[in-house]
Amino acid sequence: MNIELTGVTRTFGRNRAVDGVSLTAGPGVLGLLGPNGAGKTSLLRMLATVLPPSSGEVLLLDKDPKRTAERRDIRRRLGYLPQNLGYYPAFTVVEFIEYFALLKEVPSARVPKAVAAAVERVDLGAKAKARLRTLSGGMLRRVGIAQAIVNDPDLLLLDEPTAGLDPEQRVGFRVLLRSLGETSTVVVSTHLVEDVGAACSEVALMDNGHIVFRGTPSELVARGEGHGLGDAPLERGYSAVLQAARASTVAAGDAA
Amino acid sequence: MSHPNPTDDPGRDLNMSGIDPGGIDLGGIDLGRVWTGVAAQVWQRHPGRLERLTARLLRSPGLARALLTTPSLLLPWLISTAVVFSAGGLVSLAGGEPMVWMLAPGVAAVGIAYAYGPGVDPAWELACSMPVSERMVLLVRGVAVFAVNAFLGVTISAISYLVTTHGMHVAADLTAQTVAVTFAWLIPMTAISAFTLAVAVAARSASAGAMAGVIAWGLTVIATRVSTGDFTAAVTDSRTYLPYLVVAACATAVIVYTTRTPRGTPQ
Amino acid sequence: MDDDELITRLAGGDDRALRELFSRHAPVLAARLRPVLPPADVEDVLQETFLAAWRGAKSYRPEARAGGWLWGIARRQAALLLRRRGPAAASLPDLLEFDPPGHHPPNDPADTVVAQARLASAVATLSPAEHEVWRLVYVEDRPLAEVAELTGVPEGTVKSRAHRARRLLRAALGGAP
Repeated sequence: MNIELTGVTRTFGRNRAVDGVSLTAGPGVLGLLGPNGAGKTSLLRMLATVLPPSSGEVLLLDKDPKRTAERRDIRRRLGYLPQNLGYYPAFTVVEFIEYFALLKEVPSARVPKAVAAAVERVDLGAKAKARLRTLSGGMLRRVGIAQAIVNDPDLLLLDEPTAGLDPEQRVGFRVLLRSLGETSTVVVSTHLVEDVGAACSEVALMDNGHIVFRGTPSELVARGEGHGLGDAPLERGYSAVLQAARASTVAAGDAA
Repeated sequence: MSHPNPTDDPGRDLNMSGIDPGGIDLGGIDLGRVWTGVAAQVWQRHPGRLERLTARLLRSPGLARALLTTPSLLLPWLISTAVVFSAGGLVSLAGGEPMVWMLAPGVAAVGIAYAYGPGVDPAWELACSMPVSERMVLLVRGVAVFAVNAFLGVTISAISYLVTTHGMHVAADLTAQTVAVTFAWLIPMTAISAFTLAVAVAARSASAGAMAGVIAWGLTVIATRVSTGDFTAAVTDSRTYLPYLVVAACATAVIVYTTRTPRGTPQ
Repeated sequence: MDDDELITRLAGGDDRALRELFSRHAPVLAARLRPVLPPADVEDVLQETFLAAWRGAKSYRPEARAGGWLWGIARRQAALLLRRRGPAAASLPDLLEFDPPGHHPPNDPADTVVAQARLASAVATLSPAEHEVWRLVYVEDRPLAEVAELTGVPEGTVKSRAHRARRLLRAALGGAP
């Protein structure tokens, strides 16, 4: 198991962004769905060891991120693409990826090959020495993905990775995801439901800080049987689950 | 091998459209792997001597790179610092007061604010997930700025001191006053630097930190002038040393706390 | 963009030109090397070939063909690789040498093996002096002056020995190109 969360909570002031989440995940691609404000980004940030939990146990790659030395070990094996990745406009694609390879403590001798492989894997070979300020949004996103995979991570966390990619690139990206999911745990937070269906072996749906569904995409589709809202089966499953979750919260609130 | 490359199914990976063999049977030869090997050498960046030396010193190539590159206004700062202090030096050679003691903390404030931090690094969030911790970068850059500043300041001060005493035919008494004006500004400089960094990190803005530091120092100088009638009392009055160090300690605590829990949008 | 233009760009340090050149020529080069070397060695030779091309693009003369130029480099790199392996492997590059530019790679691996075997036996008939000269001149592609120096023999002698060796081998192969 690469991820083991037990009763993890994260509060910001009075807002409970993540509320008592327990989650385990092994190799494969896990899609994280949910509306805005559901807590997806906070959860992802905790997995990236950027944000500590307010309470609960976190175990990543069998290590405890509360311990400094273990946190460093986790981070070496980690790949993270935040929702808003800032760029250094004057850097070239290769320089940018190499910079983070160095910060991830990839052994210096391996860096050139790792960088070249990452660049080709996201299909930016023709732009390797172009400066970031000359790239389009979609290309910048791919640069972000490349830096996340340059150290061949066991745990890859992607927050809205397909933002700005055109449909053809999204298809290619899903192919990449599947191949990465063979050996690592990939968590993809996205609001594009079709991305999830095509690439993910499992799906988790978050609402209001809780995980309200965990299963395969086909199971999510099954939940949507007979449900009206949504053009595609996954969308119907998505809204069915959300509706049920909110109804039960209301009911619990009424009962209280 | 740090990177597993699928060998016999070119369609399986996203890319390689430019390197697709297009139907010729290659029987186990992976052109993608060959190209990666070529590209690795062609695209490779060769760090300069300074970077290699720094990497050995800091025992981390990543930290060395972070120290010497990435967004910062360190180079402009370095140039303007050199200019400011040289001006001070020229003034002293001409027989005037170099005012190093007054300038140094302000200059340091600006430098430290723009050294590193969430206000400076657009990729701060990502930097916080790195094994080479952002705090290390902050520390190393801050120390570098401080050291440069101190070095330049002390040099100018020493030169001006030598010039002044040399000009007099009477052996100059090493009064506590003279020494204090020449060197003691290092203490308030530490305090102001720490304060600046704390504001810059807490407000996530380098400019805010710089302004806060310069204003704070300006106010301190004016306040001591008003209370004691002497500008230089800001650095020479030994009663101020303890408060300065207390400020430095508090600011350090703020920095440590703020960089431990990077705030983000609650989501 | 044609190959000549690509190589000009290559000489100017344009890495995208190298990438394009690679995608155009690497498959063919790989196919031609494959009968002669195991896949891992082919990959090594290809890598060294394109790196050598990157470094040596300035020496490319536009009258030559890019494919032939690259093949020449590939041959030399293959020879270097085999030389590192030792004298026993030295007969393999013979096949590379006798492939004129523009010649298509043999389609039947069996033909290749037969030709290789015939060549090996023909090479065995050369005298030691001829063998050495032939190896230095044709396999390792060294200029005649250098070979003369290496063997301690006048350039004229080197030349005649090389020609004799070549004639003998051609005859042994039944005049096949």
